[in-house]
Amino acid sequence: MPGKTKVLKKPNRSLAEQAYLLEIAKGLGTTLKHFWQGTSQMVSGNTPDAVKDPWADGIATISYPDEKRPYAERWRGVHRLTHRDDGSPRCVACLCCSTACPAQCIYIKPAEYAEGDARHGYERYPELFVIDELRCIFCGFCVEACPCDAIRMDTGTHMTAYDVKSDFIYDKAKLMSMVSQHGTQKSENPRHEPGDPTHPGVDRLHGGH
Amino acid sequence: MPTFKLDDREIPFEKGETIIQAAHRQGIEIPHYCWHPGLSIAANCRMCLVEVEPPPGQRAMMLDILTWDAAKNDYVVDRKPKLQPACQLAASDGMVVRSESSHFVKNTRAHVQEFLLANHPVDCPICDQAGECKLQDYYLSQQHTPKRMLDEPVHKPKAVPFGDTIVYDAERCITCTRCIRVCDELAGDHMLDLRERGNRNEVVLAPGRKLEGDYTLMTEHVCPVGALTSRHFRFKARVWTLKETPSICTGCATGCNMWVDVDPREERAYRNRPRDNAAVNKYWMCDDGMMTYLRETERRVLEASARGDAGRTKLTVDQAIERAAAALKGVPKGWLAVLLSAQASSEDNFVMVEFARQLGAPLYLSAKAGWKGDKILRSEDQNPNRAGAVAVANNAKVGTMKDLLHAVSAGQVQAVVGLGTDSDAEGDALATLGRVSDVVLLASHDGPLAARSTVLLPAASWLEAPGSFMNVRGIAQPFAKALPPKGDAVPAWDLVARLGRAMELDLKYRKFKEVRAAMAVITPAANPEKSSTADATAPAVQPQTTA
Repeated sequence: MPGKTKVLKKPNRSLAEQAYLLEIAKGLGTTLKHFWQGTSQMVSGNTPDAVKDPWADGIATISYPDEKRPYAERWRGVHRLTHRDDGSPRCVACLCCSTACPAQCIYIKPAEYAEGDARHGYERYPELFVIDELRCIFCGFCVEACPCDAIRMDTGTHMTAYDVKSDFIYDKAKLMSMVSQHGTQKSENPRHEPGDPTHPGVDRLHGGH
Repeated sequence: MPTFKLDDREIPFEKGETIIQAAHRQGIEIPHYCWHPGLSIAANCRMCLVEVEPPPGQRAMMLDILTWDAAKNDYVVDRKPKLQPACQLAASDGMVVRSESSHFVKNTRAHVQEFLLANHPVDCPICDQAGECKLQDYYLSQQHTPKRMLDEPVHKPKAVPFGDTIVYDAERCITCTRCIRVCDELAGDHMLDLRERGNRNEVVLAPGRKLEGDYTLMTEHVCPVGALTSRHFRFKARVWTLKETPSICTGCATGCNMWVDVDPREERAYRNRPRDNAAVNKYWMCDDGMMTYLRETERRVLEASARGDAGRTKLTVDQAIERAAAALKGVPKGWLAVLLSAQASSEDNFVMVEFARQLGAPLYLSAKAGWKGDKILRSEDQNPNRAGAVAVANNAKVGTMKDLLHAVSAGQVQAVVGLGTDSDAEGDALATLGRVSDVVLLASHDGPLAARSTVLLPAASWLEAPGSFMNVRGIAQPFAKALPPKGDAVPAWDLVARLGRAMELDLKYRKFKEVRAAMAVITPAANPEKSSTADATAPAVQPQTTA
């Protein structure tokens, strides 16, 4: 059955365009322009910052993994446990994070500080603090739940591809060894403990009344 | 019955009752800290303030106040009614009380709450009360505003030892004096008192004293905040991971109602708490009763075993039942003695009595001895179910352990089938049991009788199987299963029924419900479901029946 015929207009190309050669030269010109620009930037060391100025002329790529794009401040990376001034964990094993965790990937075994420690009978600490990073869904609820700012996800590190599953089980030592994007192992919120010289409060032992 | 009006509800009350008591009985909670249904009235926390309308024809007692007028951007002179503590104000007929419906009351509660929290350290992460703390609850339900006090809070002593069981934190304390009143009114020993005033106010021990006696843990139980914590429970668990199960204390024959808090993930009991029952223990339990959850895991019998020439050999439960049945089948009629246990549930004893009746065996009762009672809660008898064991025997004669040992030494017993491991006879007297050729014992814990058994079967403990106890006053009370049985343990009634079937007796019981139903028919006195005072599924806060 004969249908409707749509007649296409012939493209109106000039002779120079139909000859191709000139257009090839134009295209190569653009390539060469970028080649020389990039080479001169590399030689002179004037490469624009691919992160801060991604739309600048010149080389817009980075040499991953030698160079890495920093993640945003609020990006949720691998967890870390923050330190106190004396290097002990800020965590008091309140189990709020493991309670809040929807993936149930946090296991904490609380323990009491040893006899003689200033915190004995007053606080507890995590004897075991284990996060199964394979189960973790990186929702950040643990960080939200933590009343002590003891667990943070500001390491700026995403999960490494290990070849053994057990490597994904991060224990307390591993979590304590992680540093933040800014290189600190402490938290952004300093903690003043009773008895510390920094503690602003007064009690019977430290003057006042 | 006279009534008063609380918000929109008519609340009936008995003469002499206060507003909070009458409301509590109707299941309406007026926020409070210092008031406790089992203690005297202190009216010092000011949380239960309510608005009371003046009697007809009389002027309302009003206070001049300043209120913030947003339109004028200034404070303006206003008036508000003088609020009165619901815990102290006696109800009268036709009284009109406003609690939730008065914005004055709601405002005041928020302010009282803010004052109470002004010097609070807010150390909830390290506080064991977190999750069941009244300060937390009322912050969310009554206040919900940030603290306005900018000054550093007053710091007070933390982790002060109050004796061997309790640790005190003065910073968390709201000085409601509940603990002081428990010592005074329950234990009858004025061990605690307050010192200083205002924001330096704190609870202290009486000079030269420490918190001691049999009711120290009740101070922690009544503490509405985290000021008093139990040494046994502190830092062990978080309360929101625990699951409560209604149970009965096995410490003595009083049969205090209690909750057992277990962690279902670890399958471990973490604490006991009193369960209110006006007819038995009111709101209280003694320290020994509170600690029975620890005894449950100590020296457990977790596998079946038989004593041979070369010591004990491990068996499966089925093998042990076969071996016991084979040994008992050879015993001539009248030469077998059956030992009931005052420590085991009525259901376990009931099936044991059935077993004995079909074999025509005489009944004896083993029990624990060595315990001091008092006039408060603790019964002279240390066994939770002596009355129940006697009741399920259904008028049959039940001899004591001494009678059994006497019969053994007289050579009248060839074999014993027994429940439980405890014995009130010890040492040389108990050694006469060695003359019996076969001692088949169903025990949850190791002990003097378990050591002398020839075949030992692992029974479930009181936390691992449902059952019921009849207390010294004859009230049969059910308890529920809180934990799965450990090891190879099986409920004792099931072991007896299986042993009976292996001996071709007519013991058809395969489910707990069947045992309970049969017990209700045969020995209705021991049936806990008839006992209205003991409801295992009753809510934590039960209506108070005695004012």
